[in-house]
Amino acid sequence: MKAHGTKAAEGLVKVVLSVLYLVPLAWIIINSLKSDSDVLTQPNAMIFVPSLQAYGVVLLGGLGAILTSLEIAVLVTGVILVVAVPAVYALASHVSPRWNRVVTILVTALLVLQLVPQPMTVIPLYSVLAAWGLLGSIPGLILADTALFLPFAIMLLRPFARSIPSAIYEAAEIDGASRWQVFVGITVPMLRNGMFIVFSFVFIGAWGEFVYAINFLTQGTAWPVSGILAQQISIYSVGWNRLMALAVITCLPLLIVFLFVQKRLVSGLSLGAVK
Amino acid sequence: MRRAARAPWPYLLPSGLVLLAFAAYPLFVLFRMAFSDVGPTNLLRGWHFIGVENYTKVLSTVDFWRSLWLTVELTAALLVSSLGIAFMCASMLLRPVRSSRFVLALMAFVWAMPAIVSGSVWKFLFDSDGLINSWLSMVRLGPVDWLSSAELAIWSVAMVLAWAGLPFSIMVVRAAMLGVSPEILEAAAIDGAGFWRTQRSIIFPQLRPTLWILGVLTVIYAFKSFDFIFVLTKGGPGTSSSTLPVLAYFSAFSGFNWSNGATIAVLAMIVVAVVSVPYMRSVQKEAAE
Repeated sequence: MKAHGTKAAEGLVKVVLSVLYLVPLAWIIINSLKSDSDVLTQPNAMIFVPSLQAYGVVLLGGLGAILTSLEIAVLVTGVILVVAVPAVYALASHVSPRWNRVVTILVTALLVLQLVPQPMTVIPLYSVLAAWGLLGSIPGLILADTALFLPFAIMLLRPFARSIPSAIYEAAEIDGASRWQVFVGITVPMLRNGMFIVFSFVFIGAWGEFVYAINFLTQGTAWPVSGILAQQISIYSVGWNRLMALAVITCLPLLIVFLFVQKRLVSGLSLGAVK
Repeated sequence: MRRAARAPWPYLLPSGLVLLAFAAYPLFVLFRMAFSDVGPTNLLRGWHFIGVENYTKVLSTVDFWRSLWLTVELTAALLVSSLGIAFMCASMLLRPVRSSRFVLALMAFVWAMPAIVSGSVWKFLFDSDGLINSWLSMVRLGPVDWLSSAELAIWSVAMVLAWAGLPFSIMVVRAAMLGVSPEILEAAAIDGAGFWRTQRSIIFPQLRPTLWILGVLTVIYAFKSFDFIFVLTKGGPGTSSSTLPVLAYFSAFSGFNWSNGATIAVLAMIVVAVVSVPYMRSVQKEAAE
């Protein structure tokens, strides 16, 4: 019944979309493999001798940056998991009708925080961090990043906590378990999948974050890869091969996660719709 | 049993403290800044309350109104892309065949990429002797000043933002299309409705709530658009691609006019707040079910 016209249109749309989304991806990889002279003399060449020169420069000269990125991403992810897991436990427990109303208010507040654009938090945070002596330091950046990603992390983890059957909690209560025992013995193990998802997303986010990084870390201290990528663009007009090699490194955590949990990544990220 | 009925406040404490100190308190500081005289010399102390003076000052500048207009133009372009183009693409990617799955996975990956990465590669592609211009000059159409022309920069930015946001819109619309009950579609087919008739009379009305929310999210996306613009043009040339958040940022961090930046930020946030109301309602309804 389906007309030939529709089929042809389908094929056309798929081809156009593939080109639109594959070309930039391929362009990153192709140019990261060009030597310095190749990228200068013929930046648009498709045929060239692949070289690892750019990766060599970026990895050797940027080892500190990679370590800084790693430090930031690991610590932000760690802090977020430590504070978010008890929070979703509290938000998912049904103790009284009054508590349910409290939960509604808190969830609304989280949504509001999630909607605040980052360029609008960076302005006051700069003065707040300066006043508290946290400006220009990794701990200050980590706290800022934590507050940036925490509302999203809680919203992402909450459905997992809500899906734990209340019968399990009731059984534990009858056995006389304290709340802390219930939390450690039931909630934490049952949230393992959710924690893995949150870990992946926050890690990708913190690894790629650059607005806070370039403003809250003083120039000269070790910047993360994302910050160097953001700043180099204004400093060097050439050196696209190195920038593209940096781009590949900035994408690395995403690539790894994508290979494992592509389906869940998509459904989870849709939750943080306004990332 | 009594012990278990106590409200679990202590479990909220760590998250609450972090968010109060580094998310809620800064918002309060932002508002205070917007009603005080904070310049290059008194960022840390010595703020004086000056009422709405910042607002009358900001609202009387040409830059603010132009920036607001640029943001509106950008929003319009993104709405066309995330509603119209996404609807069309989603219906073309609806059948669960391998080619659809490939395109969807590819787009999901690109969408999840850090903005700094996709922004950088587009800056490279749009370069005066970049790939796009080299293709255009092959057919004697180029070179085009994609990012360095004051008229064109905002539209190049809009294209990149649309490109980056389209995967999400397609995924949302497609998921909603898959939720349309097959019985209705069969009934329509029996009545002899063709492809376009089905789209217009069955699918579109069924999708209206989804599209409505997607529209709200798109407006918010446009008003949050900062990272891509920062990478691509830094709001320039001049302020020709400075949307409100970009203008706010550079007023504060390049002009050191913290109060102006904060005031523009507050004004932009009022728009986001008003637009967000229907979105919040729908999320709350979902959460309450």
